Amino acid sequence: MTLERSRRQFLRHTVAVGAGILVAAHSPRPLAFAAAARSKAPEMLTSAEWGALEAMTAQIIPTDHQPGALEANCVNFIDKALANEDAAALPLYRGGLAAIDVYCRSQYTAPFVDLTALDQQAVLSTLEQNTLEGWPLGPSAPPAMFFENLRIHTIVGFLAAPTYGGNAGFAGWQVVGYPGPEHHSGGYTSGQVEGVEKIVPVWERDHGDH
Amino acid sequence: MSAKQEIYDVCVIGTGAGGGVMIDRLTEAGLNVVALERGPHFSPSEFNEDELKIVIRRQLFAADKIDAYRPDENSPTEYGNIAEIVHGVGGSITHWGAWAWRFRPDEFRELSVEGPVPGASLADWPVNYQDMEPYYQQAEMDFGVAGKAGSNPFEAKRIQPYPNPPHPWRPSSHRFARGARKLGYSPFPLPVAINPRVYGNRPGCINGGACRGHGCPMHAKASTLAVSLPRALATGKLDLRANAAVYDLPVGKDGRLTGARYIDGAGKQQEVRAKQVIVAAGALGTAQLLLLSRSGQFPDGLANGSGEVGRNLTFHHFPAVAAVFDEDLRTYTGVESLVAADDLHPSDPKRGFIRGGVIAESNVASSQPLIFGAVLHGQSPGSRWGAGFKDKLREFPRTMLFSAICEELPMSSSQVDLDPQTKDGFGLYVPRVTKKQHPNDVLMHRYFQQKLTELAQAAGAEKTLVLDVPGATIGDDMHQKGSTHNHGTCRMGNDPKSSVVNKWCQSHEVPNLWITDASVFPTSGGYNPTLTILANAYRVADHFLAQARRQSL
Repeated sequence: MTLERSRRQFLRHTVAVGAGILVAAHSPRPLAFAAAARSKAPEMLTSAEWGALEAMTAQIIPTDHQPGALEANCVNFIDKALANEDAAALPLYRGGLAAIDVYCRSQYTAPFVDLTALDQQAVLSTLEQNTLEGWPLGPSAPPAMFFENLRIHTIVGFLAAPTYGGNAGFAGWQVVGYPGPEHHSGGYTSGQVEGVEKIVPVWERDHGDH
Repeated sequence: MSAKQEIYDVCVIGTGAGGGVMIDRLTEAGLNVVALERGPHFSPSEFNEDELKIVIRRQLFAADKIDAYRPDENSPTEYGNIAEIVHGVGGSITHWGAWAWRFRPDEFRELSVEGPVPGASLADWPVNYQDMEPYYQQAEMDFGVAGKAGSNPFEAKRIQPYPNPPHPWRPSSHRFARGARKLGYSPFPLPVAINPRVYGNRPGCINGGACRGHGCPMHAKASTLAVSLPRALATGKLDLRANAAVYDLPVGKDGRLTGARYIDGAGKQQEVRAKQVIVAAGALGTAQLLLLSRSGQFPDGLANGSGEVGRNLTFHHFPAVAAVFDEDLRTYTGVESLVAADDLHPSDPKRGFIRGGVIAESNVASSQPLIFGAVLHGQSPGSRWGAGFKDKLREFPRTMLFSAICEELPMSSSQVDLDPQTKDGFGLYVPRVTKKQHPNDVLMHRYFQQKLTELAQAAGAEKTLVLDVPGATIGDDMHQKGSTHNHGTCRMGNDPKSSVVNKWCQSHEVPNLWITDASVFPTSGGYNPTLTILANAYRVADHFLAQARRQSL
């Protein structure tokens, strides 16, 4: 097996692991996930974990002329997910964040949040490539698995309905250009389907609160 | 008065396309029917467009489902919520994309047309297109299919026009049609069972998007939940029991079924008695139930003297190419697909493989943001995070899918049996899929990927991406583990040695057992299966009622 082939196989494997979050195989009927989003205070993460994770999400979907994961509050989405559907991933996050903290303090003499953007990206790349040294979680929970969970969770938090605690102010939907769910507010006209009439997105709508 | 002792005329297991039609037709004729459905009874108010809950996490339609998959007997089994099917009143037609095709005449007689193929178990259906035609028409009328007769030069000959006109096209539909015409294809309005106007006491579609993978909150999209079951309930002849997981079909001394045993929502074992039993639990669920129903008379599973129950499972495979254009394609409005072409569908051995499939515009990857960001781009190669990834996210309104429904060749080794160790929430052994692709599938898949890329480029795409995400791609060592389209497992045929039911979908071995879902499909065709499930059920219902009137059931 060539190195490139083995790396591709590995990536396919880790992608599959990350994709596991996308389908909650054994979760019962919907949990109080949306309800948990009512609180923006950390429920599962310590304030140090929250800060480090928030900085990591900001590298997954960075802020540019449009909002990124930071403005969308993706860290809140992850915190609430870890309190509910994705509770099984909590040890991975907790152990991973601790290991990354040790790594950053030894390599850069500073915690992750205080690193430059380039150094933060370098740390995330070592996770993604599975080459971060001193990882304590063992072969069943490698650094790349931590990274895939972080990456997919950030993307989902950015793009899921704001009721889940991320996508604050419809930040994610503004970036992708998704105007919002429409069935419950009247749908689209034929002209809007055909592309000849303007569509007003949910974040620009006047909700008639006069 | 004790309901427990009532003997129903008919017990129907499963309320999707195959079961729903039977329930509708038999209650209309005055028979007393009890329907048992494994999942809950949805209210349309639950169809709220929540993409994370409904499409990604699958918490509404099959929260507790566990599937088992292995490519072959020597490989480890993996478990997950793999098959995208619905457990609940209305079944999987509740969240379909509503593509409503009639199979082509050759798709009912593939063994005759192709001859034997090594490694495949091709077979002719015991019915032909002429037998099916009036029932296709009935299904199209009841489910309000919107389309344009005669616009597809490759379609089966039809007598009546569609009951509804096509829906208005999106910019993405025009892109598909433009590319198709450039390549010399004949694009046509894809027939969809979604009302473009008020029809059949159901409203017209309001183009809200979030269609495939969702239930329709207003029932403009046809389903048994919207069409068949309300009608059946209105007769007063239907006893509909949700959260009823059937685990055994008991056989009496005379070799006939006495009814069904199930576990109710409270976890209690219950039993109903019925003179006739119709199973329509989907190709996985029907095989599972027959194999669970073992007895002294049927030690290898009910009606399985042939050993064919569970075999010849087919999915479709779905080559797809995402393409980015320079305009807002409005893929987040309206239905899943509005335009198709059938030029690549007819079998042509000169291509290096047999059979084929329909190609169509699809908004599956860009109807809502999670499927686009977390699945399409979240799982494809290239920029996976950072500034490059964010730029890809901004392509959402300009992205569409060029997709195909490709036929898989049936194989005897593609099989559903019972997993020996894993049980579901009801305590029943889950169905285990053992399945690989036939080499013909892989060759066809690559050919269609190439053709769809050419089509996207002819349509003026700025860039194209061949989908390489689990479920959308197959290859020499990549097999589909589960699908929305499940067929085979209880073939219909004239020979009791090689099939499970006869041409009327009645068991060769147990005279009051009928199967009316896609389990009975000997082959899967190159089209979505649902209209054929509906039409076949209408056909069986006619025969069933004629026999009932003659008192010869």
